[in-house]
Amino acid sequence: MPRTTTLECPGCPPLRALTFDVLVIEARSKEGGAAKVVERWGEPDSSKCVLAASMVDRKKDPLLAVARKNGTIDFLNPLNGHLRFAISNVSDTANRPEDDPISGLHLFASKKLDSEYGCCTLLACTMKGKAIMRSYDNTLSPDLISSGSTRTWDVCSSGNILCSKVDGSENYVLFGGKGVEMNVWDLSECAKIWTAKSPPKNSLGIFTPTWFTSATFLSKDDHRKFVAGTNSHQVRLYDISAQRRPVMSFDFKETPIKAVAEDLDGHTIYVGNGSGDLSAFDMRTDLPPLHHTLLAGPSHAIGSTLKHGKLLGSFLGKCSGSIKSIARLPEHPVVASCGLDSYLRLWDVKTRQLLSAVFLKQHLVRVVFDSNFTSEDAVGSTRDPSVEEAETVNEYENGDEQDTQPVKRKKSSKEKKANKKSKKKSNSNETSADDEGTKKIKKFKSKKRLKREIPDDSS
Amino acid sequence: MAGKRKKSDGEEGGGGEDEPVIKKEKTKKEILPSMIKNKDKRSEIHAKLQHQKKLDKRKRAKARDAAIKRALELGEEPPAPKIPRTIENTREFDETVCMPDDEELFAGNDADEFSSIMNRERTPKILITTCRFNSTRGPAFISELLSVIPNAHYYKRGTYDLKKIVEYANNKEFTSIIVVHTNRREPDALLVMTLPNGPTAHFKLSNLVLRKDIKNHGNPTSHEPELILHGFTTRLGHRVGRLFQSLFPQDPDFHGRRVVTFHNQRDFIFFRHHRYVFETKETKQTDSKGTKTKDAKDKVSQEKIKARLQECGPKFTLKLISLQNGTFDTKGGEYEWVHKPEMDTSRRRFFL
Repeated sequence: MPRTTTLECPGCPPLRALTFDVLVIEARSKEGGAAKVVERWGEPDSSKCVLAASMVDRKKDPLLAVARKNGTIDFLNPLNGHLRFAISNVSDTANRPEDDPISGLHLFASKKLDSEYGCCTLLACTMKGKAIMRSYDNTLSPDLISSGSTRTWDVCSSGNILCSKVDGSENYVLFGGKGVEMNVWDLSECAKIWTAKSPPKNSLGIFTPTWFTSATFLSKDDHRKFVAGTNSHQVRLYDISAQRRPVMSFDFKETPIKAVAEDLDGHTIYVGNGSGDLSAFDMRTDLPPLHHTLLAGPSHAIGSTLKHGKLLGSFLGKCSGSIKSIARLPEHPVVASCGLDSYLRLWDVKTRQLLSAVFLKQHLVRVVFDSNFTSEDAVGSTRDPSVEEAETVNEYENGDEQDTQPVKRKKSSKEKKANKKSKKKSNSNETSADDEGTKKIKKFKSKKRLKREIPDDSS
Repeated sequence: MAGKRKKSDGEEGGGGEDEPVIKKEKTKKEILPSMIKNKDKRSEIHAKLQHQKKLDKRKRAKARDAAIKRALELGEEPPAPKIPRTIENTREFDETVCMPDDEELFAGNDADEFSSIMNRERTPKILITTCRFNSTRGPAFISELLSVIPNAHYYKRGTYDLKKIVEYANNKEFTSIIVVHTNRREPDALLVMTLPNGPTAHFKLSNLVLRKDIKNHGNPTSHEPELILHGFTTRLGHRVGRLFQSLFPQDPDFHGRRVVTFHNQRDFIFFRHHRYVFETKETKQTDSKGTKTKDAKDKVSQEKIKARLQECGPKFTLKLISLQNGTFDTKGGEYEWVHKPEMDTSRRRFFL
């Protein structure tokens, strides 16, 4: 849209995002006004297509886990893309990984399963409902991976698990999918503590089949409230402490909800769907009633107790492909979305303007922010903090590439910037000289140039 | 709009030569014919202006011709003809345009859904069906499609769901499904689906001319046709191009001298079907040997070879409405690309 293209990006904060790709090539993109790919890891290979990814985002020793189509889970260093170690066939079952692909992956930040020495704990969930929690240790040597205690349980007997999410305290996990109602599990006991109840038939007596496609907890501290998106383009808010049916339910556009992400404030969510629409909703149920009805109109269908979320606004850009993943940057008001149109887009939360879009050539699956990026980088190499950085990881295979490369590229981009500045300066100098000297001959030309200069200066 | 812009350009050009102060006054004084309220006066002045423009144009053409003539007489290089400005060559910058040196593109191609057909591991086998109600031009169009696409099979739609048909076709090892949708006895949409797992492209079909309505049409042979894909530049275009490519066998029979063209221009895809022949004037015999490239080489060596075309039909125009990831699924499908009204804010923006 012309509005978004002419709008200047108001000082993007420095950030780094990792995106994961259907054709797995890992890449970083760096941003100074326009985002740029900084690095890509791995060779394209369709059998090593990334299905899920999770990152532990800590200052010291960050770790990135990537689940691939051929059943392996790779552990990477998210800073340089080095493969730490890989595990093949996590589910330990006879059937091939292609038949039962991993649909959810979570890497625990805090240590679990009594593993004092364990370097990481992992929760993986396959499509057919097998959940595995396992800790791995590779502190001794990178080749020798000793797996610590393992816990395996079946989430569901039938249906496909499509979404899973671990809450902020990492004690609870929720699952949902095609033919599987949302259910919440206590991780410390591996027991199901809550199951949702499907909404009743509508006024025509038609029952919409259960098909959850995405879910997220509403806030980090509270495991009781979560939001789920369904294939029949419904967004539902569940409250474990209140009831088994959704507290709030409303329709969003006409294609299935494919991604839901929460904001930090604990009541705003971002919803993305199969045809590339991205919107922000306020999920508070206790809004003043008058205010609420004015904004949302009369509540419809399902039940009189259900309310609408308040549509805060849509993120408009020429986004035409299904949104697969949304991520919120904790420090800055920035939201990233990526999907089948192979763009990574960064949006401003408040103004809902497109900050930048990076074309990454492949269908993207996941986007993850590296929130500690700036501080680490500032320590490592003295960099211009105004340079925004987004790291995009499109994955196929991890034949690691040189880690010196990003440093080089950073420098070159800086130089370019400097060049541009100097060019500008010299340009203005020239024009002034022209004005003073050969007035009559170059009058028209210098005029034109001046005209061009003026908007440059003002911008 | 265009007229206005030209005028303003002219003003700038004219004003540049004079003192800038005078130029300002001029612009103030100038009255456009559209600003005159009296209709008689307005049309009179407008006619005058138009006439003046015509004269100017003629003058310029004359001057240009004279310059070319003079250059030829002097044995110099004639001035290069100006390239007209079109909305294609002033197209909005698109970063998704494929570059020939893009390794990631080729890597992506190797891994996509069409690669097994492109690598000749599977031979294309097409199932053609229709929408539920089908009459007149629909069956005629399908019978012509059957003659264009080798190894295509028509199945009656009956009352089956499309998802059931997809299942059936998967079991029978078809590689693609084409659904011709008719509305008011006129084919108006085409659904092209690659099996077993997508993508699905939905096209609007227009300007359909069947074989019998084409003057001097030829009748195609049963040879496997050559394929020309032209103008698919962006990633999306590339993908759509590959989708069409996967409908045809990858080893054309050059003896047949049949060629099928998908020509993309301004996001409209033009389908044409021709027979060609190379004729040499000297020997006066039809030249039917060798591949096209070979013939092109011959062309360079002896200039008398001429190519002639005969249209075989059908001809039609396609416009992409959506490209869906996976097979046909309107409710739960994910789109790789959908046309949205907010994309139509510029005439110079093209997606294919």
